[in-house]
Amino acid sequence: MIGTFQKMIASARGGVRARLAVPLPIKQDLDLLCRVTEEGFILPVLIGDGGAMESLVKKSPLSSLEHEIVNVGEDPGEALSTAITLVREGRADILMQGGIGQKPFMEEVLDAKNGLLKSKTASYASIVQFQRREKLVLVTDTFINNFPGIAEKQIILENALGLAGILGMEEPKVAVISAIEQVNPSIPSTLDAAALAKMAERGQFGKAVVDGPLDMDCALSRVAAARKNVRSVVTGNADIYLVPEIETGLPLVQALCFFGGMKTAGMMLGAKVPVIPDVPFISDEERAAELALAVLMTRKGGNHE
Amino acid sequence: MIRSLSDISRLALEKGPKKLAVLAPEDEEFMLAVKRSWEKGCIEPVLIGDRDKMARVAETVGFDISRFEQIVEHDRQTVSDLGIGMLFSGDVSVVSKGQITTSYVYRSIIRAEAKAASGMTVTVVSIWEVPEVDHLVGFTDSGVNIRPDFKTKVEILRNAVFLCHLLGYETPGIAVLSGRRTFGEDLPSYADYESLRRMAGSGCLGDCEILEATSIAEIFLGAGGRLKESVNEIDLSKTPHIFLAPCLDTANILAKLDLAMDIKRCSISVTSRGAVCIPARSDLSSAIEDQIEMGVVVADRIQEGVR
Repeated sequence: MIGTFQKMIASARGGVRARLAVPLPIKQDLDLLCRVTEEGFILPVLIGDGGAMESLVKKSPLSSLEHEIVNVGEDPGEALSTAITLVREGRADILMQGGIGQKPFMEEVLDAKNGLLKSKTASYASIVQFQRREKLVLVTDTFINNFPGIAEKQIILENALGLAGILGMEEPKVAVISAIEQVNPSIPSTLDAAALAKMAERGQFGKAVVDGPLDMDCALSRVAAARKNVRSVVTGNADIYLVPEIETGLPLVQALCFFGGMKTAGMMLGAKVPVIPDVPFISDEERAAELALAVLMTRKGGNHE
Repeated sequence: MIRSLSDISRLALEKGPKKLAVLAPEDEEFMLAVKRSWEKGCIEPVLIGDRDKMARVAETVGFDISRFEQIVEHDRQTVSDLGIGMLFSGDVSVVSKGQITTSYVYRSIIRAEAKAASGMTVTVVSIWEVPEVDHLVGFTDSGVNIRPDFKTKVEILRNAVFLCHLLGYETPGIAVLSGRRTFGEDLPSYADYESLRRMAGSGCLGDCEILEATSIAEIFLGAGGRLKESVNEIDLSKTPHIFLAPCLDTANILAKLDLAMDIKRCSISVTSRGAVCIPARSDLSSAIEDQIEMGVVVADRIQEGVR
C-alpha cells in the first residue's frame, strides 16, 4: 500500500511514461514539469503559442529534457480545447490545468458534450498524508459537487474506491461523516450515510466496508467511538472520508492542511483520463505526487477509459 | 484577554467555586472531571441523574458524592429540564452536560429561552486552542441549527461575538465560511457572507470585523495566492477568532478535528442566563475539565456584566 507522497512518486518511477497535456504552461508549471520529467514518468506536451513556449522552455532545464510543443497560438480557449482533443483521441494520457483559469478549465472539462466526463458526475478526492502516521486518506468530494444527493454520493464513493485501489487499499474502510452518529431524519446527511452503509452491506461497493453516519470523533478515534457505543472496523481507521457536501469538504481538507500541517494533493475522478485542476493550497511538492498518482492511474486503467 | 485554556484554568481557580448542575454524570470520565474540578475549587456540583449509576461511578473514581446535592431522576429529558431550569432560576451559575445525548439539552434551553421570552437563539461555539495561535478560535454553530438561514446566522454570529467579548476580544475577527469556488453556481452561503460583511461594516453586529475571505486557504494565502513551500511554513497569526460555518455538519465536523491534530477543543452554549458546557459524550475527563473551567469563567463574566 502506498502510504506517503514520496512512495507515490517512487512507485511511478521506472515504468512507461505518460503523456501529460498542459495548456498554456506558466513558469511555475515548468519547474514542476522538469522535476517529473527527470523522474522519468512524464512526457510533457505543451500546448499554446509555439514561440512563447520555446522561449520559456529555453530558460528552463526542461530544454535539455524530452518534451513536445504543440503550437496553436496564444488563445487560451484554443489551447484548452486542443489539450482536451489530444486526451480524447488518446494522444495524451493526463490533463493538467496549466495556465488556464480555473473557471474556464473546469467548465470545459465538465462540459457534458465536449468535455471529459465518463458519466454525469465527476468528483474530486483530496489525498491527505495524515500526521504522525504513514498513511494516506482520501476525503471526497472536496471540490466539484456542491450539494450531492444520494445518487451523486454513490458515484463519488465509487470514484474514490477506484482511486483507493490504485493506492493499494484492498478493502477500503469508508466513513460517511455527518454532524452526529445517529440517523436523524432532520439531518439529511445522516440519511444519505445510512443508505450508503446499507448499500455497502448488500455488496454494492465490492469489498469496501462503509459505515455511517459517523461523526468526526467516531470516525477519527476508536476510543471516542467506543464511548458512544459505536463499534465498527471503520472507527479510528478510515481510509476514505465521504463528506456531506462541498461546504464541509472544502474547509475540512483546508483545516487539515493549514491547522494540522498535513500535506494534501488531489485528483479529479470520473473523467476519461486523470485530470489535475490547480488547487491553491497544494504545494509544488505535492503537485509532483499528483502527477505520479495520475501516472499510476493511467498504467492500471483506473478511473479512465 | 484570555489567550489559552491555561488562562481559563487560572481564572476558574480565582473565580470559583461556582455552583454547577451536572446532567447525568453517570460515566467515569464525567464523574472524574467533576471530582477534579471540585478538588481544584472551581465548582460546587449539583448532580442530577440515576442514583445507582452515579454512586457506582463515583465509587470507581474515589469521589464521595454524599456531601453534594443530588437530584434523582431517570428520564433524560427531565434530567436536562431540571438542570437548565436551575440555571434560569438562578440556583446554579453553570450547567454541564454529562453522559446524555445533546439534543435533550438543546431542547431544554430552547424551551427555557422561550419561557423567559429572551428572544435568544440557542447556538453552540466549539473552541479550539491551537498551539501556534495566540488566541482561542471558535467554530459556530456546532450544535443546534442544522442549516441556518440568514436571519439565524445573524443570531449565531451575535452570540459568538458576545462570547468573544466575554473572553476579552474587543473586535473579534470573523471568517464566514463558504464552499464557493470560481466555477459552478453561486452558493447561498456566499451571498450570506456578503450581506453579513455589509452588516458588520455598518456596525449592526456589534464590535467585530468580518474578514474578506470565505475559505481557510484564502485567509492564509490571500485571494489568488498559492502555497509554495511546505505547509509547515504557514503563518497562522491571521487565524480569525470565529469561523461561522454554513451548516451544522461543517461546524461540528471541523470542531472535532482536535482528534487528528495537536489541538484542544471545548464547546459552550451561552444562554441568556448563563453558561452551558457541552462536552461530547466521547470526551475524556481532561477535556471535560477544560470545558467546565470555561463554563465557570464565562458564567463569572456574565455575572459581572462584561459586554
